Amino acid sequence: MKNARNLIAATALAICAVFLIFSSIMMHPFGKPSDSSMDDYIISNAQNETGANNAVTSVVFDYRGFDTLAEATVLFTAVAGVIMLFRREKHE
Amino acid sequence: MIEMILHAALPILIVVTAIIAVLFKDLVSATIALAAMSLLLSLEFYILQAPDVAIAEAGVGACLTTAILIISIKATKRMEDE
Amino acid sequence: MSEMSKIVRTISNSLFPFIMIYGLYVIMHGHLTPGGGFQGGAVVASGCALMLVAYSSGWVFKKVKESDLSVLESIGAIGFISLAFLGIGVTFFYNFLVGSNLLFGEIPPAGPNTGNLNTAGLLPLMNLSVGLKVIAGLFAIVAVMAFVASRGMRKK
Repeated sequence: MKNARNLIAATALAICAVFLIFSSIMMHPFGKPSDSSMDDYIISNAQNETGANNAVTSVVFDYRGFDTLAEATVLFTAVAGVIMLFRREKHE
Repeated sequence: MIEMILHAALPILIVVTAIIAVLFKDLVSATIALAAMSLLLSLEFYILQAPDVAIAEAGVGACLTTAILIISIKATKRMEDE
Repeated sequence: MSEMSKIVRTISNSLFPFIMIYGLYVIMHGHLTPGGGFQGGAVVASGCALMLVAYSSGWVFKKVKESDLSVLESIGAIGFISLAFLGIGVTFFYNFLVGSNLLFGEIPPAGPNTGNLNTAGLLPLMNLSVGLKVIAGLFAIVAVMAFVASRGMRKK
């Protein structure tokens, strides 16, 4: 039983190592994405369209607003869960 | 030059602090090592020119996660069982 | 948890305004400098967590109730969604304030410029609502957990 578990773990580790080595060999050079048309559009037009100097904020809150809405929903659910779990009882 | 040294040294330090955080039996020490890992990770984000992520990582990872873990350790027990 | 020593409380008292001002600056200047609602909210919640561990959780709950924090977080969420709904005439999340001469309605000159706070339309308002939501949410998590931890230790 223990041998089988060790074998499975070693196989998974070997597969992970192979994928990691291949991806690190075939990685893009830093700062040179393969398709940069969307980046160029946002960099050249974000300041004019949204009026914000910070292009990252204009992407997060304007171009990709739905992602921020989902992130806010995740935070809201987490806080609701924690307060439901640790809430003070009324009868104490 | 100093940027090259930081690019080489910071990932090694991040991995070392992560391994230290796993190896500690004292959970408070492990939490401090995890906070150090978060701080080094935010420095790494900063030298990779992502200051937004660096501020978020320094605030959430190095402060709030440490506070939550220390509070949890204080409510349960401090040493990890063998 | 009980209060920490007088040294820690004094240092926290003098450090707290600077952390709050830095976090509120990051929230308010989210459309000009790096940062935004989430980052500044995390910084302000860190400052509040500093006061929480320096003083006791009972001291904090005398000043702020957890229901107030829940209300603040809900106000942030509702503000964010209703700001997104205000532009429903064109699309969801349409930035209708840019180019108008209302609040935050100017457009900066193209290229590198000295920042103008009165730009970017809906983005500062969204930053403010998300910041309020993140401050209240993260501080509510830490405060409620600290209160339950101290109560459980007193029972033992």
